[in-house]
Amino acid sequence: MTTHLNETAAARAAERPARLDWAKHAPEVYKAMVRLEIAARQGLDHTLYELVKIRASQINHCAFCIDMHTKDALAAGESVERIVQLSAWDESRHFYTEKEIAALELTEAVTVLTDGFVPDEVYERAARHFEEAELAQLIAAITTINAWNRFGVTCRMVPGHYQPGQYK
Amino acid sequence: MTVRTRALDPAVARALSALSAAAKEGLGDPALAELVVIRASQLNRCAFCLDMHLALARRYGVSERQLDLLAAWEEAGDVFDERERAALALTEAVTVLTGGFVPDEVYERAARHFDEARLAHLVGLIVAINNWNRMMVARRIPPGGHTP
Repeated sequence: MTTHLNETAAARAAERPARLDWAKHAPEVYKAMVRLEIAARQGLDHTLYELVKIRASQINHCAFCIDMHTKDALAAGESVERIVQLSAWDESRHFYTEKEIAALELTEAVTVLTDGFVPDEVYERAARHFEEAELAQLIAAITTINAWNRFGVTCRMVPGHYQPGQYK
Repeated sequence: MTVRTRALDPAVARALSALSAAAKEGLGDPALAELVVIRASQLNRCAFCLDMHLALARRYGVSERQLDLLAAWEEAGDVFDERERAALALTEAVTVLTGGFVPDEVYERAARHFDEARLAHLVGLIVAINNWNRMMVARRIPPGGHTP
């Protein structure tokens, strides 16, 4: 089995370099992003936070962010099952709490904004599970991972090298 | 249509403002910045952001003709120059990520018109307005009430 995996790895496509080292060329922008990240996670449950991060990164196809947040989630004790099922959470609801489901629904609506506004039923379901200040933080967390996703995809940040806790 | 919540942590608001300010300053072209920000706000349908940035654009001297035709910039002939068109194409690609990745031709076209530092700030600006758009639409903040 190991041999097979190694052979497969050797036949893989070459790693593509990043397009742009944006943090180096825009250090003040990077600093503001780090501040935003620190501010947005205050008051949110860490397990929930990583689920939101992973789901938004899946929708936005940010490979670097998926690499980072799946590794962080696993390192924090999240189950492989819940991470694997996340892209089909609507069909695997029994893996998640009602509060997590409400957060994931809001994550999808706020992430896919160009398909329409954030529906009332989605917002209201989230509002039933999160009190107002916590909901504001959840929205901030969703917009912040969307921001990282946009840097990651546009600048083609390279996935695969992240070590859990690397930026902490 | 009433506001859902105005709750926003002051530290989040400050960081987001710093992000926008740093990106805009590094781009060094306030009129172009407003075109970019307005186009993203059109795509994300953020009424608050459109109201605010249309006012700002007029203050920076962006022409009414450009503002009128911005939603159809690709078909607007010479109303937008090549640099503006490259920035707007990048804005659309980075804003609508769920439609696919940022295509090489879009990225490379922008890279021909903006050096690496300006490009990094342009990307930062597109990211920042996308963040504001999401903040305002999710909380249903109505247009108006900002001071330019």
